[in-house]
Formats: sequence, structure tokens, C-alpha cells
Amino acid sequence: MNTLIQTRRSFIKTTLKAGAFVSFAANAPVSLLRAATTAPQRIGDTVLVVLQLSGGNDGLNTVIPYADDAYHRGRPTLRQMARGAHKLDSHLAFHPRMEGFYRLYRDGLLTIVQGVGYPDADRNHPGGMHNWHTAAPRAPKTQTGWLGRAADRLWKPAEANVPAMFVGAIPQPFAANAEQVIVPSVRSPRELLSQSFSPVPAEPGVSWLNSLRRATAVVQANNRRIESVMAASSSADYPKFQLAEELRAIAQLIRADLGVRIFFTELGGGNIGGFDNHAGQLGNHCSLVHQLSESVAAFIRDLQRDKLHERVLLMTYSEFGRTVRENGRRGTDHGAAQPVFLAGGRLKGGLCGAHPSLTDVDKDGLKFHTDFRRVYATALDRWLGLDSRSVLSASFEPLDVLKA
Amino acid sequence: MATLTQQQFDPASAWARYEPDARRPWNLALAGHLYRRAAFGASWGQLQRALRDGPQRTVDALLRPVGDVAAFNRQYDELETPANDENSSNDLRAWWLQRMIRTPHPLQETMTLFWHGHFGVNAAKVNSARAVQQHLQLLRRHALGSFREMLAGVVKDAAVFLTLDAKASRKAFPDEHLARWFLEAFTVGPGRFSDRDVREVARAFSGCFVLQNQLRFIERERDAGTKRILGQEGIFTGEDVARILAEQPATAQTIVRKVYRWLISETAEPDERLLSPLVESFAKNHDVLQLAETMLRSNLFFSAAAYLQRMKSPVEFALGIVKGLEETVSTPPLAEALVRLGQNLLHPPTAKGWLGGQNWINHATLAGRHNLAAALLKSDGAFGGKLNPAAVASKHGTDARLFLDLFLQGDAEPSGDSGTDARRAAYAAITMPEFQLA
Repeated sequence: MNTLIQTRRSFIKTTLKAGAFVSFAANAPVSLLRAATTAPQRIGDTVLVVLQLSGGNDGLNTVIPYADDAYHRGRPTLRQMARGAHKLDSHLAFHPRMEGFYRLYRDGLLTIVQGVGYPDADRNHPGGMHNWHTAAPRAPKTQTGWLGRAADRLWKPAEANVPAMFVGAIPQPFAANAEQVIVPSVRSPRELLSQSFSPVPAEPGVSWLNSLRRATAVVQANNRRIESVMAASSSADYPKFQLAEELRAIAQLIRADLGVRIFFTELGGGNIGGFDNHAGQLGNHCSLVHQLSESVAAFIRDLQRDKLHERVLLMTYSEFGRTVRENGRRGTDHGAAQPVFLAGGRLKGGLCGAHPSLTDVDKDGLKFHTDFRRVYATALDRWLGLDSRSVLSASFEPLDVLKA
Repeated sequence: MATLTQQQFDPASAWARYEPDARRPWNLALAGHLYRRAAFGASWGQLQRALRDGPQRTVDALLRPVGDVAAFNRQYDELETPANDENSSNDLRAWWLQRMIRTPHPLQETMTLFWHGHFGVNAAKVNSARAVQQHLQLLRRHALGSFREMLAGVVKDAAVFLTLDAKASRKAFPDEHLARWFLEAFTVGPGRFSDRDVREVARAFSGCFVLQNQLRFIERERDAGTKRILGQEGIFTGEDVARILAEQPATAQTIVRKVYRWLISETAEPDERLLSPLVESFAKNHDVLQLAETMLRSNLFFSAAAYLQRMKSPVEFALGIVKGLEETVSTPPLAEALVRLGQNLLHPPTAKGWLGGQNWINHATLAGRHNLAAALLKSDGAFGGKLNPAAVASKHGTDARLFLDLFLQGDAEPSGDSGTDARRAAYAAITMPEFQLA
């Protein structure tokens, strides 16, 4: 006991005598950054960015089957004409306000996974979203989310690198709910800065105190990395949307190389989000897909400047797609299958899977052919290098969308 | 460093009362240790008094405080009662923190927090502030009482059933999810029951419905047949389940092991032999107070096997600062700040509660702890600038060096560099890696 306390005592003395105190001024971070130690770079780790579209995105007015008569018949007021849309082929086109997505697609940086869903899809907002969050539609009492479980698999408690982070203003969606990992929510990398004192070097041996000393050093190294990244990349060109700001923050956090493997963000405002357009859909949806397309494009272009896009895979999802036919109030109702968008530098690009039929439908919702957990398995197995069965509790075949 | 680990104790000497001697003297470090584990931390006056009283008398006062605890709790029960059922439970979080700070019986609150983690009730699922309050009152009433009685309350507690998505246990659809949770997480533990036990416990819970945030028993949905649970047979109901599960020796093992992690050490799993005397007693009397008492008085507790062998939870981290500085702070913003550190009171991540230990610390939460420390010490801002390190130092006739002794119980000598600014010195002490440990 005495020796134990002796150790602590001498450590405190050393700290005091070394003059380790850093100014307690409110804006101290910059000065203390210089004193921080350098942590080793973690080069080459892949990063998954998951983007939730809240409310149920209308896939048919995002990727438009302009050559399909059934589309034009079902949507007398909401349909988009071929003229002005960005044609992908003789059948499909991106919405006219989705130029960014179109260019990414043309450059092979974007893949559209068509017809994504699951059996007996829940068409209520909370139930549908809960299924996408848990990845367990048949086990609604599941208490964790799929990203939370992935974070728990990636988590190494003694190293203190947080494996997943939510970037946004809404309460953290349930997908990030983990048993072990505390997944932070931030709006700006600045929230991760702290005023702290020069780290005390860890002593040899494994102990929680040593882990804490190393973690303190990591906090300080991160301070320096975040500050320098924020100073350097503020010039990147992002449109003035909240989603764009959040993706800019994610790009900064990726550049700062903090060891975060999963970023999670959102468009639509959470709860029953902005994509839920039962009436007067046209202008609102147009604005949302424009924000989506231009923000994601700016993000990928930003990362492309230093080839970081090759380390990044972004994926979108919504709780469900929408009905083929508009509902008489210039809106659409809750549907089923939807397109999932993947963006990044190591995609094969193009389309994955056929566009679902607009006439062979289920209660006016598109039928799925690709289970959403195959998309998740792709992200987990092929991108993050996890065993997807440990996260999804079952085996799902990954999609062939990534370059070798 | 001394490596006096649990392996070096035989059970008899480990659980014998600690009596200081020349080799193991009673000192400030051990007094701080006791107060961290049993009372969320201590003021300078409490530490000084503990030094005078010695370990056993200090433990006496923590176990059986002299103040009128019942009157204090009644007052807070009234203060925290939500104006209506739909009120957010966020106010309850703030009142609970205030209660933890001001209570004359802090051990009762640390153990209430322990049981909160054990049963993992989540206010977001309960969606009734009154039901959450009633749950907390149940935990507090039995926090240092009989586990058997607590479990008898839990099987009638709407908040527990709602947290486990068990609104309606119908005869035709017995709720195996609920049953499994009771067996695996609350009582006997994984691997100590069969799938048949799960089905039979589920049948015994049939007829339990949550209606208007109260647990009701619907006779026509009750499965009146014979059930066989862990070797016992009868026409069992939820109350019988509570009795049967509480009486299992495996349940005593689960609870003793978990309280060991809470009061003694998270860094090493104790072997069965070490725990066996405590498990034997607990299996007979289900007495949490006696269990806590044995642990807190023991040689093992006052040894290196326990010293700094736990990670402070965010609540312990924040309250350690507040208690050391002898004031209270505005607790609504404190409850919010704790969310960012990973401990949203009344909203644990799953019904398993917070797993704690090294999970508390990642680089974001550690930076967050530093920033919360800074915010608590600020002379203005959300916390009201109530904590005043300089005043505390001068009250005790000393200067900024006080904070190393107060927060870390280190015996620092005067140093030219330590600085005389009280806030800075206090901040330095509470952002040390050591202060994250309990």
C-alpha cells in the first residue's frame, strides 16, 4: 500500500516541478497543441460514412425511370420529364437538380443499388426506421443498432480511439446504440478539443492508469491534429447546406486521422423527417435531393484532392421508398423498396441490380430484390473488415460493388 | 508498485475487518478511497474527520448515518414528483443528481445508482415520468435492504416491463424475451438456466399487462397450468418467479460478483473461492447492507487489490469535484453534460445498464471530462459559478496545494511551479489520469 501511494506522490511532484501547467485561459488550445506529443499515424484504415434520409425518400423521383410509361401514368403532377434530367442510360435519369450525383456517377464514384428492401417491410415511420437501425426486422426488441454493434466489434478499450461518431444536430439515431462504446455526437470537430496538461508518459506495463495516460496523450495529439486540419481545409468548396457542413466536418475528422472508422449523419431532420411528403411533394423533395446530391459531391471532391476518397465509402438509406402513384394531394405515400446510394473512390460504379417493376408492385410499393442487410454486409465485411455475421446475427451475401 | 492482489488473500483474511497497523496505516489516501466508493467523494472536512475517526468508525457513519435520512428523502420525493405523467423524465435526472450531492446517506444513492444499472430501466421506453419515479423509489427503498424484496417489487414494476417491451404477456404468447432477461441479466446469469426455464418463466408472467403505466394482472390471460422453473414445480405467477429466482444460489453469485465490481474492483475478476463466504451469506439473507458492510470494512477493500481499481463513471467524476468543493451546482445542465460523457441517467444504452470500466474512456469522452471540469470551475456559465476553489482553500487555511491532497490525496511538497491560482491548481488535479480512477 505504501509503495503504491509513494508512486503516485512522486508522480505528482514530478508533474509540478516540470512546470507542466498550461495556461488556463479560455482559448488555450492552440498554445498547448505545440506541446502535445505526436501519436503514430493510422494510415490506410477504411472509413464508412452512413447517411440517413429521414422520412422515406421517394426513390422514383430521385432515380427517375423516365422511359417507363407507368411512371408517367402514376405521377401526372409529380413526374419529371426526360428533358432536364441527367440521363444515366436509355431508361433512367437523375433528378434535374442532382447534377453532383450525376457527375459522380459519370466518374465511376457512385453506385446505385436498386430495389433494396426486406420481406414484409414495415411502412410506418418508427417501425420502418427501427428495422433499418437494428438490422433485425424479425426481432423488434433488439436493444442495439447495427452501427453500434459494429462499433463494439471495432472497440479496443485500452486504446481509447472512438470507433464511431455521429455528426449532426438531431438526437443520435438508434442505429448507433452500442452496448459498450460511447458514441459521441458532435456538430464540429472543435467540440473534441479540450484544455489539458502535458501528458505524463505511460510507464511500462499494462494498467488502467497507463491506458489513461496514453489516452490523455491521444487527446492532446488530437487537439493538434484537429486544429491544423481546421486551419488548412476551410477553403474547400461546399454548398451552404447543413448537410454539407456536417460532411465538411466529417472530411476534417477523416483528415485529422483520429482512428474513427464509422461516421454517421442525417438529412431530413430526424423523427418523421423532411422526406415524408404526402402532399405538395415537388418543391420540398427537389430541394432535399439537391442538398443530398450537391453536399455528397462536394464531400467526395474534397476528399479527392488528396486521394482520401479511396479510403471512404458513403452509403445512404431511408426507412422506406414511396408509392408508385401519387395520392391526389400532389404527394406520395409510404412504399417499400428504394435505391441505396454508395459513393467513394473504390467503387465499380454504375447500377447494381435491375430497376424494380412499376407494374408488378406490392400495395403500390416497389418490390425489393436486394435485402438491405446485403448492403450492410458489404460495408461490414468488404469495407470495414469485420465479420458481418457477428453484427447481423446471420449470413448475408455482400454485393459485388467494390474494386478489388 | 505494491502488487498486493486478491490472489494473495485467503477468503478469511480478505473479508476480515481492516485494522490499521504500522505496515498498513490509516491515511488520507485510504480515507479518500473509502469516500470515492461509498459517497461519490469527500470534502476536506470529511477527510480530516475520517483520519481522526479511523476506518471502522468512518464506515459506521457511512452505513448508518446519524441524520434524518427518511425526512430528507421524503422532502426530495415531493420536490421531484412530476406535475403530470407526461412530464419528461429529464427533471428527475436533475433532482436525482441534486439528491446525490446533498443526501445525508450517500451510500444509499450510490447503491441506488448501482441497482439502476442492474435493472437498466430506460425512461425513453417508459414514457411516464411517474412510473420512472416509482421505479427509482423502489430501488432506493431496497438499495441497502433485501434483494428478495426488491425483486418482488420489480416483477410488479411497470417501468421494468416497458423497458423490456413487455406491455402485454398473453396466455397464447408468453413473453420469452422478458423471461430471458429476468433469468440472464437480473438473477441467475447466463448458462445457468435452460430454454425450458425461459418458457416456463414466460408462462408464469402471463396475464401481466401494463395499462396506464401501471402493471395490472388480467386473470383471463393467465396461464393457470403447472410450471416447472429451475427444478421447482407449481402453479406459479410473477411473484413466485421473484421468490424462486431470488433464492437461487446462482443469483447470489451474480449479485455478489456485481457488487464486488461496484465497490471493490473492476480490473480483475475475483475467483469463486474468494467470494464464497459472501455468496453463502447473501444466498441465505439477501441482505445488501450486510454485503456492502462486509466489503467496505474489509482488508481487501483497503488494499492495493481495490485501490484505484475502478474507473469513475461520469456521475462519480462530476460529483467528486462538486463534493470536494463543498457546494452544489445547477444540476439540469449537469445531467445534460453527463449525456455527452456517456451516462444519460435514466437512459442506459440497453437494459444491461452501463458496462462501465474502460468503456467510459475514449478520446472524445476524456476530452469531454476535461471540458466539463473546466466548465464546473468557471466563475460563471451554465453551472452558476458556484464552485470556488480559492474560497475552499482559504477556509481550510491553506493555498492551491490543497487540491492535490483533496482530489488525489497525494502528499505534494511545496513547489515553485505549482502556481497559486486556485482554479488552475484544482483543474490540474481533476484532469490528472489518476482522478479518472476511483
